[in-house]
Amino acid sequence: MEPTLTKSPLLTGAPAAILLKNTPMIKLLDIEKVYHTDTIETVALNRVNLTINKGEFVSVMGPSGCGKSTLLSLMGLLDEPTGGTIEIDGRAVTSYSDKELARVRNHKIGFIFQSFHLINDLSVLDNVELPLLYRAGMSGKERRQRAQAALEKVGLIARTKHFPSQLSGGQRQRVAIARALAGAPEIILADEPTGNLDSVMGDEIMDLLLGLNRQEGTTIVMVTHDENMAHKTERLIRFFDGSQVS
Amino acid sequence: MIRHLFTLIWNRKRSNFLLMSEILLSFFVLFAVSVLLVSNYYNYRQPLGFQYENVWELDVNPGQDTTDHKEMLRLLVQRLQSTPGVVAVTNTSTNTPFSFSNMDTNQYTYKGKAGPQTERYDTDDETAKVLGLNVVAGRWFDRRDAAATRPPIVVNQKFAEKLLGQEAPVGKVLVSNDGKREWQIIGVVDTYRSGSDFASNDPAVFDRRALQDTAFKMSNNEVPVLLVRVQPGSGAVLEQRLVKEIKDITKGWVAKVNTLTENRHDKLKVVLTPMIALGIIALFLIINVALGLFGVLWYNISQRKAEIGLRRAMGATGAGIGKQFLGEMLVITTLGVLGGMLLAAQFPLLGVFGIEPPIYVLSILLAALLIYILTAVCAFQPSRIAAGIQPAVSLREE
Repeated sequence: MEPTLTKSPLLTGAPAAILLKNTPMIKLLDIEKVYHTDTIETVALNRVNLTINKGEFVSVMGPSGCGKSTLLSLMGLLDEPTGGTIEIDGRAVTSYSDKELARVRNHKIGFIFQSFHLINDLSVLDNVELPLLYRAGMSGKERRQRAQAALEKVGLIARTKHFPSQLSGGQRQRVAIARALAGAPEIILADEPTGNLDSVMGDEIMDLLLGLNRQEGTTIVMVTHDENMAHKTERLIRFFDGSQVS
Repeated sequence: MIRHLFTLIWNRKRSNFLLMSEILLSFFVLFAVSVLLVSNYYNYRQPLGFQYENVWELDVNPGQDTTDHKEMLRLLVQRLQSTPGVVAVTNTSTNTPFSFSNMDTNQYTYKGKAGPQTERYDTDDETAKVLGLNVVAGRWFDRRDAAATRPPIVVNQKFAEKLLGQEAPVGKVLVSNDGKREWQIIGVVDTYRSGSDFASNDPAVFDRRALQDTAFKMSNNEVPVLLVRVQPGSGAVLEQRLVKEIKDITKGWVAKVNTLTENRHDKLKVVLTPMIALGIIALFLIINVALGLFGVLWYNISQRKAEIGLRRAMGATGAGIGKQFLGEMLVITTLGVLGGMLLAAQFPLLGVFGIEPPIYVLSILLAALLIYILTAVCAFQPSRIAAGIQPAVSLREE
């Protein structure tokens, strides 16, 4: 089958990117994750094989403790698998050094968390600038412009000088989304992004993510407990006891 | 990143204020210790201005003898000078080198300008020879001075600098602050630090009180002190002989003999003991401060685990996180040190304690260096821990 061509403008105003819809963006091959303590061995993921294509919006569901968050951590290169190989954009990253992994996270991946993970002592603008701080060679002016553009995108440009404690839950999650967008990542990993929000706010956030996926072609993997949210995505993957069941 | 650190520190100013205060106080403790160390080291490196080797101090006690002590002492000095093994003998005041006695005064004035606080020494024509004083201008006392119209004095360079500034000291006439007495400077010695190896080079004036002068009146209440330069290698045999000579001539005067080398060691013990005690107290304070800093940083990191995880997720490396924590600590240290420096700079500006400004400047720099080393050492391990935190674990912890 011929890959589908999708053309979309990037958030930064960079030239339009051509995304190959059936090209793998994240590939997990025989992934295992086992947590060891002194007495207990817990298998979090058991030989998972999964491919997420470029531009796909995938939701992951399953009961608590089934390995969803572990899966997201491994995809986000925040954790190392006990066995198996992870490929990001066609490159096996399992043997990457800490520095190389940090670079991939910074350039390719944006994270959205259930509990927002904003730094309370930094303003909204400084929070959104955070991933750009770790991008070598970027000037302060460019950082600011990108952060402002991301905040504009999520409708919070008027709140740049506010601190997280002065915002509602929905606004905080939008700041977290702006932070994920600021670095113009190709992948967004969202761990229960609507979990701490009421249904109205949850819908707002979901619409933002859907818009991002459709307009920017960003690959999104979202862990959720909400069937309604999950059904809005292109593909639903279910996990149980560390294994993919559908 | 530096700007980011400053923003973070500014926004956390309340929690950082205590840390900065602790650093500021530690800076002052280290500054005080540094002043002590630097000034003592600086003094120690200066020449004493005299030679104490092969010089013996004879503390003579006339007891209940009512004869004229001055005449007896003159005969005694003559006899000792002719004793084989003795190079020269001088009669001095009790503030001999390394003694615990002093005779300070501020009586000297020059053209209406008050002189500095000055240590005054009674000496005679032989003192320069006995102590090996280094006369750099004019001359030391001799017989000619017996007929001088004004009492002659020899000063050290520090005294000349403080009272006369750039003027050549020799020949200058000084007046007492009540205007009743005058002295004429006939010579200048370079340095005379008689207190101890750590004594500062303070102003000194040497008066001539020669036993052979009829003008010199000596009270029987005065305690005669003689300094005797002996041949190198002289020991107990000469000591016994000198004591015997004293007994023979004076009929009952008792003499106690000490070498200036022994006196120097005794004085060193007395000077070093409080310095060591102060050093130990300072060390405990510094250890306390270090433990405090260590604890605060440790606590900081445990409180900021989620932030560490987030930063890792955003693209920070483990080493980058370690550097950030170290950097934050160094910025906070810099702010504390700057505050401390601002206050410490008042000491040289106001001339407190009469310590030379370069010693204060060096001490400020040394204290700053020590505090940076201290905070870097204290921040190192917590920063390493921060660098090693697994992002997935720390993100899940919140």
